[in-house]
Amino acid sequence: MISFRTRLFIIAVSIVLTALTVVLALAWSSLMKNEVDRLDERLCLETQRFTTQPFIRNDAAGLESDIVNKLRLDSNKQLLFRYTSEVGMPEVKSTYWQDDINIDQLNWKSVPFRALPDPNRQLRDEHRPEARLDNRTEASPAERAPRGKCAVSTLTVQDKQWRATTFTTPRGRGFLGVDLAATTSELQAGLKRALWLVVPLALILTALGAWLLASLTMRPVNRIRNAMKTLTQKDLHQRISNEGEDKEFRELIDTYNTMLQRLDVSFHQASRFSGDAAHELRTPLTILQGKIEQLLNKSDNHVIQTDLTEMLDEVSRLTAITRKLLLLSHADAGKLALHTTRIDLSELLNELVVDAQMLINNQTLRSNIAKQQVIYGDILLLQQLLNNLISNAVRYCPAKGNITIQSISEKKGVTILISNTSHNINMNDRARFFDRFYRGDAAHNRKIEGNGLGLSLALEIAKAHGGDLRLAQSPQDVVQLYLWLPFKR
Amino acid sequence: MKVLLIEDEQKIADFVSIGLKERDFNVEHCNNGNVGFELASKGQYAVIILDIMLLGRDGLSILKELRSSGVATPIILLTARNELGDRITGLNLGADDYLAKPFFVEELVARIHVLQRRLAGDRQNLLQVGKLKLDRITRQASSSGHTIELTTREFSLLEYLMRSAGQVFTRGQILEHVWGYDFDPSTNVVDVCIKRIRSKIGSIEVSADAPSPIESVRGTGYRFRLEP
Repeated sequence: MISFRTRLFIIAVSIVLTALTVVLALAWSSLMKNEVDRLDERLCLETQRFTTQPFIRNDAAGLESDIVNKLRLDSNKQLLFRYTSEVGMPEVKSTYWQDDINIDQLNWKSVPFRALPDPNRQLRDEHRPEARLDNRTEASPAERAPRGKCAVSTLTVQDKQWRATTFTTPRGRGFLGVDLAATTSELQAGLKRALWLVVPLALILTALGAWLLASLTMRPVNRIRNAMKTLTQKDLHQRISNEGEDKEFRELIDTYNTMLQRLDVSFHQASRFSGDAAHELRTPLTILQGKIEQLLNKSDNHVIQTDLTEMLDEVSRLTAITRKLLLLSHADAGKLALHTTRIDLSELLNELVVDAQMLINNQTLRSNIAKQQVIYGDILLLQQLLNNLISNAVRYCPAKGNITIQSISEKKGVTILISNTSHNINMNDRARFFDRFYRGDAAHNRKIEGNGLGLSLALEIAKAHGGDLRLAQSPQDVVQLYLWLPFKR
Repeated sequence: MKVLLIEDEQKIADFVSIGLKERDFNVEHCNNGNVGFELASKGQYAVIILDIMLLGRDGLSILKELRSSGVATPIILLTARNELGDRITGLNLGADDYLAKPFFVEELVARIHVLQRRLAGDRQNLLQVGKLKLDRITRQASSSGHTIELTTREFSLLEYLMRSAGQVFTRGQILEHVWGYDFDPSTNVVDVCIKRIRSKIGSIEVSADAPSPIESVRGTGYRFRLEP
């Protein structure tokens, strides 16, 4: 999964590189075309020379080196030349002439060229009727150079591209070709040198630019994300400021704030509802308990006394639930008030371990409580928290099972590990451990007392103390709870 | 002993008054905060039991003004709303103790006794019923000169039963007094603890047949025998 920032970066780089490639390719081909045009011009001028000036037929080698010089070629390997007279005269060929070149089958194209001013125009005009036609334009004084036309073509010989022209003199026909690669190689080399410098530079600039762009785009997103992160369940009433943001992000923030507002309202309604319900139950529960207690004191009848005692137990159970609901609703509203005092945690734990020892039947309880652990917290709430964890361990531990209670002093706080053997608990059930009113099927089946509020309340108490409570990794048939409490909040 | 009860819920006030009167307290009840404040600042009471939610005037403001005007009478707060917050504010404002609703009258009585003993000083540290003696300072129990080693819970439980020897206490009452109201009401920790105390007392008895001083009352709970 790549980040949006990286994706933006990649897209920006791709766009710029594509544009750069297209521009370079166009420039390259236009430069190459220009170079070929210039070559055509040179070739045509050369042919003009043949048609206007008689050349020495006997000195083939001299002629070849002369052409090589005129066309500015590196060697005669880059030259293909042949001149054929119609009757009796020997052919003049360049050294590397290939006999399989069929001049007539080539696709000749006529191109205009600017001919050199010709001192022997009269002579040339006699021999070249088409040149005579062109001379009509010579009337214009602006165009001194006479315009001519000559036929050019591109052909492949020995896997090389050649540019060739053909010419006709009154006595014969000639073919002149040069190696295209050889003549453009100088330009190509120059361009390549330039590109070696320009392309890496362009790449670096593109990368920097794209990264800057991606970062700039991500900046408001990051800012909003960080602002959202700092809002937790406890401060739903907070809103993110949209000051100074761009239009799109302002709309995003407004949408988020509206959502938060709705969440806040419904959350507080739910939280207040359970708080109010718990509170409203208090008075009737108090009256019920007081009256039953009063009746119990008056009664001499054993049967009635037994019933009343059972009723008292049920009232106690109801009271415990309403108390937990009230605490949870305070915790949800972020108003779990702590009455912080100095607490000897070792003493508290040892006391609870003694209680647990009274409650176990044929299970084994091992404890290892570090000495003199003093923390600052709310004694009532911490008692509730630890008592809940330990009594759960006892309650859910099957016969012959093991319970261990450990506390370890650390640099900034205390780690308490409470584990017990249990029936197998799958990951699904484990994930719902801290859900309110959640009780595993096994707990229902085995008729184990409980209301499923204890652990979620324990978690809230730990959090309110700046601590942490979670299920530790353990085998399926072991439940291990990890509790961390800081010395001071 | 004269007790002022400031509580506006009539039914609660009724059973508290009846319960306290049965235990020989002289209870004066008032259901209005303003009147309650007048009574509390003038009358001579051993203890004031003050509800926080009141008609007329809030319990916490009464407490605050009583303390600032120099009335030092011990005050036990009855809290219901926003239990934790009120507990903290109440204790900070100078309340001596508090009880969260719902509460047992028996527990209220125990709290009054504790406050009284605290005021009376060292004289009532020794509690003796029959042969069994409890020293509340050293928290040691002894019988016929033999020391009995008791845990904190065992001592508190024994003390609770012995202080009102002859009276029956339910498991719920014992649990709330000894373990605090946060303890799971379905646990059988009370029975186990009683069993342990009995065996500790029994182990130093001369005659094995002597009945245990802690008597089980079928279906209800336990009581400490007046005449062992």
